Amino acid sequence: MGLVDQYELPKPVKYVFNWGRKYSLWCFNFGLACCAIEFIAASGSRHDFIRLGVIPFAHAPRQADLLVVSGTLTDKMAPALRRLYEEMPEPKYVISFGSCANCGGPYWDSYSVTKGVDQILPVDVYVPGCPPRPEALLDGIVALQTRIQGESLKDRMAQRRREPIVLRNDGPDIAPELQTAEGQ
Amino acid sequence: MSDVLARREQALTPDETAELIAATVGDAAVLGTTVEYGTFTLHVASEHFAEVARACRDERVLAYDFFDCLFGIDAREEGFDVVAILYSTSTGNRVALRTRCPGGREAPTCPSLTEIYRGANWHERECWDMFGIEFPDHPGLEPRIFTIETFEGWPLRKDFPLASRVVKPWPGVKEPAELDEDGNVIERQPQLGDAPGPYELDKAMAEQAKLANPQAAVDPATAEGEEVEDALGTDAEQAPDSGAVLAGDAEQTQEQHEDVKSEAREKAEEKRKAAAEARARKAAERAAEGADDTGVAEAAGGAVEPGEDQFPEEATAEAHPEGDESWGNDSDAPPVGGDSDAEPTGDESDGEERS
Repeated sequence: MGLVDQYELPKPVKYVFNWGRKYSLWCFNFGLACCAIEFIAASGSRHDFIRLGVIPFAHAPRQADLLVVSGTLTDKMAPALRRLYEEMPEPKYVISFGSCANCGGPYWDSYSVTKGVDQILPVDVYVPGCPPRPEALLDGIVALQTRIQGESLKDRMAQRRREPIVLRNDGPDIAPELQTAEGQ
Repeated sequence: MSDVLARREQALTPDETAELIAATVGDAAVLGTTVEYGTFTLHVASEHFAEVARACRDERVLAYDFFDCLFGIDAREEGFDVVAILYSTSTGNRVALRTRCPGGREAPTCPSLTEIYRGANWHERECWDMFGIEFPDHPGLEPRIFTIETFEGWPLRKDFPLASRVVKPWPGVKEPAELDEDGNVIERQPQLGDAPGPYELDKAMAEQAKLANPQAAVDPATAEGEEVEDALGTDAEQAPDSGAVLAGDAEQTQEQHEDVKSEAREKAEEKRKAAAEARARKAAERAAEGADDTGVAEAAGGAVEPGEDQFPEEATAEAHPEGDESWGNDSDAPPVGGDSDAEPTGDESDGEERS
């Protein structure tokens, strides 16, 4: 990431920097169920989250800043979601959209449903509802933008180093630079 | 085209089909036929399952050329059934081949139809995945396709415990403990074909529902009712059906203003008396016909709720001739997804029980 995650930016610079970041969230929609329809509605002309700077045209996870998990995540699907999240570049944000993504929702007792995406990903904003209305997603996006505006990238990356997002023990490390940067 | 239309007129009836199959494969292959909800079911001996399917496909007058679906059914103590639904695009007929897997609950096995219908491949894999039914001739059941590869257990079996429910009982009264018209919890014994969940846990959930609904305990009319029922010796623990809500009304009225209070209390008193009388009358009636009734109910295999009409149970019991007995409690399990005949394309949509 260069210098911004090593040194605290001067306050005015940081303000402009974060202001620029928060209004260009290229969004990757991981649509799994009916919540994805609400996401699509939120991207349509009536609710139109592009006016908030959320751009739902990320070509791939590698070009995305924001991951919206909308729908029921099953254990079978979880590794795929995990992998796509790992492909995203830092700084990356996750919105968990809908009850199923938050905690399993109506499938809380299912044998196959993951009880919330926060079991496998760090989640920034939870949007409750079953499914939430598009306005709820707009509210979640605004909450996320508020958070981005106020945050320090240095602190965020330092936290990532303290709590590395690499949960997997087997397989290659997906973000070795995050782990080796500890102590510098 | 004209050939196809002609064959549609010549389509065999269920009985003719069964006769033809018996003549082709052997009498031992066909155990019986039923026609329920517009679906013709051919009960087949498991060792002849594949042969019957082959005959269905290859006999020119039958010509079941389309493999529709295949799924398992948990028949509780008797083991597992496998049902394959075949369709004929030329005659327009549909048949469900149903067989009871040998091996009981421990090691159910079923002949594979993959050799005959290629489309059966994934259906059988799914069936193995959900029920643990082995298909020995299948080219390869593993890896599991619905669950994660390391999943242990067979999730659509009735005795499969849901870990989340073991840790935390069902938090509401909605399912499976339903409420009767007076707001009391109906505790019911799940029957074969009901699918409210793993049944050991249902009891715990019903208990939980009772705790969540404690008002039933305070009413004197209720207490009377329970005594009557105890005297009758019915073991169905039925939440009392008429007193509780009225009692709740009475308590509410007592909390109201002084001037309205006495009047309301009188009203409530009257109501409660009437309710108690009604209960007593009911109980007496029931006591009069008590012995036969409980006998019939038990014969029908149902935990009959005293507060409810017993017609449905008896009706289904009568609807099935004695010949069905070898097929277990068919009375409450429409064997092959009832509405499958209505729409050829709608088959996939109904139910998780099939897979």
